[in-house]
Amino acid sequence: MRRLLFPITALVVVGVVTSTSISGQGRGGGGGAPAPAGPVPRTADGKPDLRGVWSGASGGFTHTALIEAHEGGFGILGGPSIIIDPPDGVIPYRPAALAERNRRRDDLNAYEDRASHCESYGMARLHQFNLDVQYAGPLIIMESATPTRQARIIDMRRTEHLPDSFRLWMGDSIAKWEGDTLVIETTNFNGKTWMGFGDYHGPNAVIVERFTMVNSNTINWTMTITDPEIFTRPWTIRSVAPLARRPAITVRDEEDDCNEGNVQLRHLKNLYETEYGTPVPRSNDLQR
Amino acid sequence: MRHRFVIGLVAVVAAAAFTYSLSAPITAQAPAGAQSYVPPRTADGQPDLQGVWRAWNLAKFDLEDHGAKPGVPAGRGFVVDPPDGKIPYKPWAIEQRRKNYEGTKTFDPAKNADPLAKCFLPGVPRLTYLGWPLQIVQTPAQVAIYYEFSHRRRFAAVGNVPVPSSEDMSNWLGVSRARFEGNSLVITVTNFNGYTWFDMAGNFHSDALRVVERYTPTGPDTLQYEATMEDANVFTRPWTIRMSLQRQTDIGLLEYECTDMLDQMGVPHTWPRDFETHRGPEAR
Repeated sequence: MRRLLFPITALVVVGVVTSTSISGQGRGGGGGAPAPAGPVPRTADGKPDLRGVWSGASGGFTHTALIEAHEGGFGILGGPSIIIDPPDGVIPYRPAALAERNRRRDDLNAYEDRASHCESYGMARLHQFNLDVQYAGPLIIMESATPTRQARIIDMRRTEHLPDSFRLWMGDSIAKWEGDTLVIETTNFNGKTWMGFGDYHGPNAVIVERFTMVNSNTINWTMTITDPEIFTRPWTIRSVAPLARRPAITVRDEEDDCNEGNVQLRHLKNLYETEYGTPVPRSNDLQR
Repeated sequence: MRHRFVIGLVAVVAAAAFTYSLSAPITAQAPAGAQSYVPPRTADGQPDLQGVWRAWNLAKFDLEDHGAKPGVPAGRGFVVDPPDGKIPYKPWAIEQRRKNYEGTKTFDPAKNADPLAKCFLPGVPRLTYLGWPLQIVQTPAQVAIYYEFSHRRRFAAVGNVPVPSSEDMSNWLGVSRARFEGNSLVITVTNFNGYTWFDMAGNFHSDALRVVERYTPTGPDTLQYEATMEDANVFTRPWTIRMSLQRQTDIGLLEYECTDMLDQMGVPHTWPRDFETHRGPEAR
């Protein structure tokens, strides 16, 4: 047996972070002093050149980003809310959706997080990972520079979303430039993905990201989630820190063999079935 | 010898006899148009193979000529070398291939010998002709291939980039390096782990496999795909498959999250990860 099992250990973090106390409160905004404006590299057509590897993490690596203010704990970094709107820094869930979020946070329900099945994280959970941006003709490719297999291929020629019947883990993204800001709108979700630790949006969410290059080494990124079925109002997050340029990645030989070595899901299943006395539900039943 | 795995089906024997009578023209499937079509070039001067492509053929069932099997239409194979269209197995490996196929006769993914039944990475070249589309994206230093199947992807560094030792890295999809020869994209794939198959008929290899893939545009909307397999543990000589891929223009890459499909069928994918099962002792 060679190196088949390496990416798995991080997944159990999903199941153990409930030992962390979650305040659910805290002020939004913050993020330190704004990066100084400076010259922005541009491609031949004059658009900002976002190519490169970027990270907005303040340091370390967490597999399950917490959006609201929270204390640190095993496997997770403490920090303030990354919500900049509403100003109280709290996700504006509708009451039933808040109860569902809290239910998902129970250790016993960790089996339900599709990330523990080695399935797609969904696009709204990717902001916690390094971002590798590449251009190829009319395509903008955004790789998550991690062993997770999350790539977004955005075709700048497209102006309309897919028909409603297409429901995707990563959603359907179309993008345009507004001045120097790349604006990506994503719809057509399948409702199976989480945004992190129990937090989620519904299948009909409209998510708008804005990438604004401030200087050659800094991108300001925000993401606004609109989903009246789940939230009382749109809300917006930013990265923990502005996206900062990281060393370029030139060779990618590591592959994502998460499912191939996933020996942890068994334990999450056992946990569920022992507690509830029933088999784990078909995952389709978890879709909301 | 190769018919052992289909014994017991009279109709199959008849079909196989028929295909034998047609085996001669296989070698005539030479890349006739490959030399005449001149593909566009990328801004960096590479032949531009970008786009969404799909293999519409029966290769996923069996790379060799085959009669009908449960759920499998009879059809021609894709082996163009050796000229007899058969994978040049060592004698022990033919028996292992038969065992592999027998091990697929179950509806229980946990008991199915085919690694793909458990949604494990399909290996190369199997991922190419699995039936789901793929998208080629070229940047100067890398050729990326994104697969609709389970969000899989491969990155082939372009140029003389060192390959890790097989002790340091063995992958389900191997380690890929790309170069361009004329109008062709050539990807050399090494560092396999030996756990993947070539098709649903149990055709297999060991961790000594080395694959050279050759993608050649033969028209604006067709790619010729060739793959040459070398594996001295399992085969007596290198062998080559050839098929065409068609450009998909109606929609981009969508998604097929394989393990989610198991979830939807009520199959929790919680079985032990025992990769040595169903492998021949000589291949270890």
